[in-house]
Amino acid sequence: MSVEKRSVTRFELLMDAGFGAQKAGDILLGAFVAMGKYVYVDPMIPAEISPPARSRPALSGVIIRLADFDVTNIGNDTDLILASHEIVLDRRLEDREYNPKCVVLLDMGDSKDNADSYEAVLKHCTQEGLSVIPFEVDEASKTIVKELGGKGQNIHYLGILSYIYNVDGKVVEKEIQKTLGKKLKPEIMEKNLVLFRNGYQLAKERVFFQIQVDNTAHDEEKILIDGNTSLSMGIIDAGIKLYSGYPITPASSMMHTLAKEFPSYGGMVHQAEDEIAAIGTAIGAYYGGVPAVTCTSGPGLSLKQEFIGFSQAAEIPIIIIDAQRAGPSTGMPTKTEQSDLPAVIFGSHGDYTKIVISVSNVIDCFYAPHMARYLAEKLRLPVFIMSDFQTANSYKVISKLKVLQMNDVEEIPDFVLERFHINRLPKDIEMVRTLQAPPGTEGGMRRVTGLNTDQGGKVNYSAGTNQHSHQIRNEKVHHVRRALIKPEMFGPDTGDILVVSWGSTRGALEEAISLCAKEGLKVGGMNLRIVYPLPLILKEIFAKYKKIVTVEVAYGDNLKPSPLALLLRAETLVDVKSMIAQATGRPIRPKSIVQMVKEVLSK
Amino acid sequence: MSAQTVEQPKGPVTIKDLQTENPRWCVGCGDFGIIMGLKRFIVERQLSPAMTVNVSGIGCSGRAPNYFNTYGVHSIHGRPITIALGLALARPDLNLFVHAGDGDALSIGGNHLIHGINKNFKCVFLLYDNELYALTKSQTSPTTRKGHVTTTQPQGTYLNPLNPITIALGLGASFVASTADWIPDHLTSTMKAAFDHPGFAFVHISQRCPHYDPNNFDHKSSAWFSFLKHAKGIEPDRRLADKTEVVEHDPSDMTKAFQYAAAERKYFGLFYQNKNKPRYDVILHDLIKKATPKDKAKILDAYLI
Repeated sequence: MSVEKRSVTRFELLMDAGFGAQKAGDILLGAFVAMGKYVYVDPMIPAEISPPARSRPALSGVIIRLADFDVTNIGNDTDLILASHEIVLDRRLEDREYNPKCVVLLDMGDSKDNADSYEAVLKHCTQEGLSVIPFEVDEASKTIVKELGGKGQNIHYLGILSYIYNVDGKVVEKEIQKTLGKKLKPEIMEKNLVLFRNGYQLAKERVFFQIQVDNTAHDEEKILIDGNTSLSMGIIDAGIKLYSGYPITPASSMMHTLAKEFPSYGGMVHQAEDEIAAIGTAIGAYYGGVPAVTCTSGPGLSLKQEFIGFSQAAEIPIIIIDAQRAGPSTGMPTKTEQSDLPAVIFGSHGDYTKIVISVSNVIDCFYAPHMARYLAEKLRLPVFIMSDFQTANSYKVISKLKVLQMNDVEEIPDFVLERFHINRLPKDIEMVRTLQAPPGTEGGMRRVTGLNTDQGGKVNYSAGTNQHSHQIRNEKVHHVRRALIKPEMFGPDTGDILVVSWGSTRGALEEAISLCAKEGLKVGGMNLRIVYPLPLILKEIFAKYKKIVTVEVAYGDNLKPSPLALLLRAETLVDVKSMIAQATGRPIRPKSIVQMVKEVLSK
Repeated sequence: MSAQTVEQPKGPVTIKDLQTENPRWCVGCGDFGIIMGLKRFIVERQLSPAMTVNVSGIGCSGRAPNYFNTYGVHSIHGRPITIALGLALARPDLNLFVHAGDGDALSIGGNHLIHGINKNFKCVFLLYDNELYALTKSQTSPTTRKGHVTTTQPQGTYLNPLNPITIALGLGASFVASTADWIPDHLTSTMKAAFDHPGFAFVHISQRCPHYDPNNFDHKSSAWFSFLKHAKGIEPDRRLADKTEVVEHDPSDMTKAFQYAAAERKYFGLFYQNKNKPRYDVILHDLIKKATPKDKAKILDAYLI
C-alpha cells in the first residue's frame, strides 16, 4: 500500500442521472475544502431530468480537480474514474479526457445481466491502456441500497473515493451530516453512514494506492461558490432590485437562488410569461429609476433582441446576463460554448451601441453586476454580462470577497474598475435627450420612444437629427473605448505568439502560458474582460508579437474565423487566427493550448 | 424596492398643462377622443402629471404617450404590458395607464394580455379597437369584421373577429368595461371606474378610423348599442342615455356579463368587476415586507468554509 503525493490531480464520479453523483461530489468537496485543499468542480449534467438508467444520455457526474495551489480551471485529463456501470463509462470515454495512465474503478454489479456489454467496454479500456479495477458493492451494502429504494450507492462510492484521496472518514461523515442531515430521518442517515464506511473499507481492501494532495489553503477566510451563485450575490450587492427572467438553462439557477434570498435584501424576482416580457419588465423598472437585470441564455437572447435595441434608442439602462450554452437553436442546453458574441455585439436591428462585459471566474461574477450597473446607468445603454455554462456551474474555493453594498454607481471602487481594466468614465456624458429624470421628478416630464427624436424628446425624422442621435449614442461607446486600458496579460510582453481569450477560457490560458514559459516558449496571453468595445491600445500590443491567435469554445475553421477572432480582425486589421475554435461542449484544456501553440510555432 | 421622492404639483392641473404637440393623427381619428377623455379624467382627479406614466406599444394608439405632458414610454409592438408591470413593481406610487391597439393587444402582444390580466397588477389598460391595422395601411386585425376588405385580405376578411370582451372575461379579468371614443362623458366615467379599481382594469374602447374604415361605428346614431347601468357600475352617457336602451346589469354577475359580451348587440358599460382578485404586484411587495431582513455586509457568509 502506497500513498502517492501529488500537487494536482483530477478524478470523476460517473453515475446514472438522479442517483446523486453530484451530491456525493459536493460532500467530498466539502471535506477537501474543510481540510484546506483547493478544488475546481465541473458538474456533468444531462439536459433531461431522468433519462432511462443504463443509457448513454443518463450520464451524470462530477469532475473534481484537486490541488495544493489555487486552480483556475478544470485542467487537462482525468487520473481516476469511478463509474457505476459500463455504459456511463463508455459514454464518458468518448470525450477522450483521460490521461494514458488513468485508473478506472468499474462497478461490476450489472455485469451478470450485461456480460457482453461489460466485456466490450473492458476490452476498449485495455486497448486504450487504462488500468481497470473491477469491484462489486458488498452484499451488506447491496441490501441497504435495496432498502433505500435503490438510493445510497453514491454514498458508498463516496466512501471509496474518500479512502483513495486519503480523507479522514470522520471529516467526510461530518460533511454527510451537514449536507443530508436535515433531509434524512436518523435511521436513514445511519444506513447512509454504514454505506459510506463499507465503501471506505472496500477501497481499503481492493485499491492498492492512495493519493495525497497537501493542505495549503488555511491562511484566510475562504468561500466555496459557483458562478451563478456568485452572480446572484453580486446582483444583490450591486444594489439591483429586480431580477426579471424566464426559466432557461443554464441561467435559471440564478433565479432560484434569488427567489429565496432577494426579498430579505429588499429585492424582487419576477418570473415572466416569456423572454420578451422578462426584459420588458426589467426595462420598465429601470425607466422607473430602479436598477433591474434580466438573465437568459441563447434562445432567450434571440427573443430579447428587439427590446435591447429599444433600450439603446429610448436611453433606458438595462443589464442582460447571458449564460451561454451550446447553440445554434436549442443546441446542447447543458454544455458550454462562447458563440453568442456576434449576437450580443451585432444583434438587434439597426446600428448597435452596447457594452459587453465577460466573466472569467467566480470573482468576476461577483463584481460584474457592479461594473454593468455603472456602465448601464452612466451611458443609459444596454450592458451585457457574458457568462457560460462552464462558469455558471463550476465552483471553486476563493478568498472571501469584499462586499460593497453599492447604492449609487459613482460609488464603484477603483479595484472593480481595475478588475475589468477600465478607467473611470467622465462625470457627465451627453445623451440624445437632455431630460433623463425618472418618473416622480417634478418638471422632468418626458416621453421615451424607439422612434428617433430631437434633444427635447420629440419624434423627429429629419436627416440631421437622426445622424446626431447616432453620433451621441456611439460617442457613449467611444467613452468606454477610450477608458479601456491594457487588458490582463500573461507571460512575456513580446514574443512569437499572443494567445487571446475571453470568458471561461481564461483559466486554461493562464495555466497554458505558464506551461509554455516552463518550456521556454515565447508565448504571451491576453484575456479580455470587456469584449465590446475593445481597447484602443490593442493594435499596439498585437504589434509586439509575431502571431496573434485566439482560443474559443466556439466554431471556426480556416474559411470562417471564430467570433472573437472575427471581431479582433475587424477592429484591428491584424491577421488574427482562430488557434482553437472548439465547439464540443467541453472546456478547452491547458495542454491543448500548449500543443496548438507548438504547432503554430512549427509552421 | 425603493420609491422615489415625490414633489407636489404647484397649482391645479389643467388640460393645457397636459398638452404637448398636436397629435399626428388623421382628421376625425377616434384617438383624439380617447386621449381627451383621459386628460379630462386626469384634470378632474387632479392627478400629478409627474406621477403619471402612459405606456404604449406600436400603432396609431402607440403614439398616445407622446401627446401627454406626463411621463411616458412608447415601447415596442405588443409589449407595453411588460413595461407597465416593471413600473408597477418598481414604482407602486405611480399612476399607470397602458394604451394598446387591437393588433398590439390581441395579436402580437396576446401573450402579455393573458398574463397581465392574470397577474392583475394595478393599471388602467385601454384597448383602442378600430378593428384594423391603420398605421401600416389597412390590414386585417384580430378584430376586423368578416368580409371587410383590407390590403392583406382583399377578397374580404376571412374569419370572424375575436371578441375582446369575452376574451377578457374568460381570462378572469377583475375589471372589464367597454366604451367608445365618441361618447366623452361615458369615456371619462369609465376611466374613473377603471382608475379606482384595485387591479388590472381592462377597458375596451370602440375607436373610429375615418381614414380606412369610415363606415364602421355609426357614431351619429345610438340605436345599435345599449348602456349597462348599475349602482356599482358606470353611469350611461348623459347625452345619449334617453336616446337608447339602458340595461340594469350587476357587475358581479359573471354569467350575465358573458351574455352581454357575446350578444350581437353592442353594450357599453361595466361588464364585470371583482375587487378581491389577488394582485401579483402586491404579492411581490408583500414578500419583501414579510421577509426577515438580512445584513448586506454578510451576504457571502453563507458560503464560508
